[in-house]
Amino acid sequence: MDPVLAYLDPGTGSVILQALLGGIAGVALTLKLFGRRILSFFRRRPPSEPTPPAARESEVN
Amino acid sequence: MSRTTQPVVADPGSFRDPASRVFVGPEGVFRALSATGLEDWRALAASATFERFSASGGLIGTEECRAADLPTPVAEGLGAALAGGVAGVLRHERVPFVSYPYEWSFAMLREAALLQLDLMLSALDDGLILKDASPYNVQWRGARPVFVDVGSFERLREGEPWAGYRQFCSLYLNPLLLQAYRGIPFQGRLRGSIDGISPAEADRYFSARDHLRRGILTHVHLHSRLEARNAARAGGEAQREVREAGFRSELIRANVRRLRKLVERLDWSPGSSAWSGYRDANTYTDDTARAKEEFVAAAVRSAAPGLVWDVGANDGAYSRIAAAAGARVVALDSDHATVDALYRALAAEGSESILPLVADMTDPSPGLGWRGSERAPLEGRGRPAVALCLAVVHHLAITGNLPLREVVAWMRSLDAVVVVEFPPRTDPMVARLLSGKGPDANPDYDLETFEALLSERFSIGRREQLAGDGRVLYVATPAA
Repeated sequence: MDPVLAYLDPGTGSVILQALLGGIAGVALTLKLFGRRILSFFRRRPPSEPTPPAARESEVN
Repeated sequence: MSRTTQPVVADPGSFRDPASRVFVGPEGVFRALSATGLEDWRALAASATFERFSASGGLIGTEECRAADLPTPVAEGLGAALAGGVAGVLRHERVPFVSYPYEWSFAMLREAALLQLDLMLSALDDGLILKDASPYNVQWRGARPVFVDVGSFERLREGEPWAGYRQFCSLYLNPLLLQAYRGIPFQGRLRGSIDGISPAEADRYFSARDHLRRGILTHVHLHSRLEARNAARAGGEAQREVREAGFRSELIRANVRRLRKLVERLDWSPGSSAWSGYRDANTYTDDTARAKEEFVAAAVRSAAPGLVWDVGANDGAYSRIAAAAGARVVALDSDHATVDALYRALAAEGSESILPLVADMTDPSPGLGWRGSERAPLEGRGRPAVALCLAVVHHLAITGNLPLREVVAWMRSLDAVVVVEFPPRTDPMVARLLSGKGPDANPDYDLETFEALLSERFSIGRREQLAGDGRVLYVATPAA
């Protein structure tokens, strides 16, 4: 079900910030929302993909 | 004779909320409610929040009216009030004088913010929430804030974020942070933008070092970054995502509690301004001061006023005299530090009769917002019965470079009994104000000219020359 929207637009950034600012109560929510991004930040980067041939060609020019 | 059958008209500042709209007329202040608005009101009326804050004076006096009891002008005016139809009508107590946050001092805006947050916390306990967070919903009984927008309360919908958080930051928190941390006066910024200081704008005012200060990194910097990064995303989508991740009202409560702690600790100490020590340093002797006080007291008493304006109120000594005579007083001064000090003193005393405001009469608040009438100009919000213009004419004429004719015309435009003081050129303060100017400055500034101009537009009831410095006091009644 869609939420009933208030007459005031809460603002996307402000909504996300509220989830982050919930303190201890917000930890679980923050992990759920941003867990993947946080984990990928700490995980080792996967080996970089080989540069596409087209780009290589343009480098030679 | 005034016609009393004119329908009441919608308050020009009340149009944003489709569930609730305010109407003002001689019959009183009324609020039309939609069906949803009416249900929300009834939930509020039955709550502990309503009982507690009505009793403490934090919430405006409100009662539900039966349609059959409405005076004809009210019923007529309210007929087409809301697009979805009017399901109910409330009647509100009237505040003595309407004011806006760009006329408040730092401590006033902080006090209003705390009231807003306290109402939020209490409402959440009752399964309610405030749908917005605007200081324009706060008015004053003297130095005590009162929340007037009963239509802000609605039943809490679990899982939804606090829609008013961004507004709270823009209109309360950011102005307070700006004043407390950077000493930048917030009034001009609030007057310049009806929606206040956005997170992105606030972020520009603070340096990286300020990020260590309470509130800046999260409510300002992160807020601004998140807003920029998510600018392209639809608001509904983020709300759905947050709700599905398990957003609960406890998170709102935690955020509001932390905001309250933050706001409570913010403070601003202005240091000394040219005016804050004015009374101690000014040129009156005790006897002159007493004569002036007696003159003012007698003038105010004989006018038996409802509303008094004290223009250039300084430490509020004459405002207090007027209040003691039974008046509601608006104490106007252009110096923020002076007004803040006066507010703090009055708040400590629990005064409900004197409202201090930051206002420069050479640049008074204009009409603002939608069609320039959402917020009324200062001089369009209720006529004072008496205007005290003590130790103010020389500042208007010499510092403000206003011809005396202009000053007197302005006093006449107030349409009030004016208690005015004229310090002659020999007065030490006048000499000081003139000392930086050339010999030809303010050629019209003398007692004879002033008195002639005053008699053109007023009838002078009483005139008294103070001993010592030769200042002259007048009680002037507008000529017909």
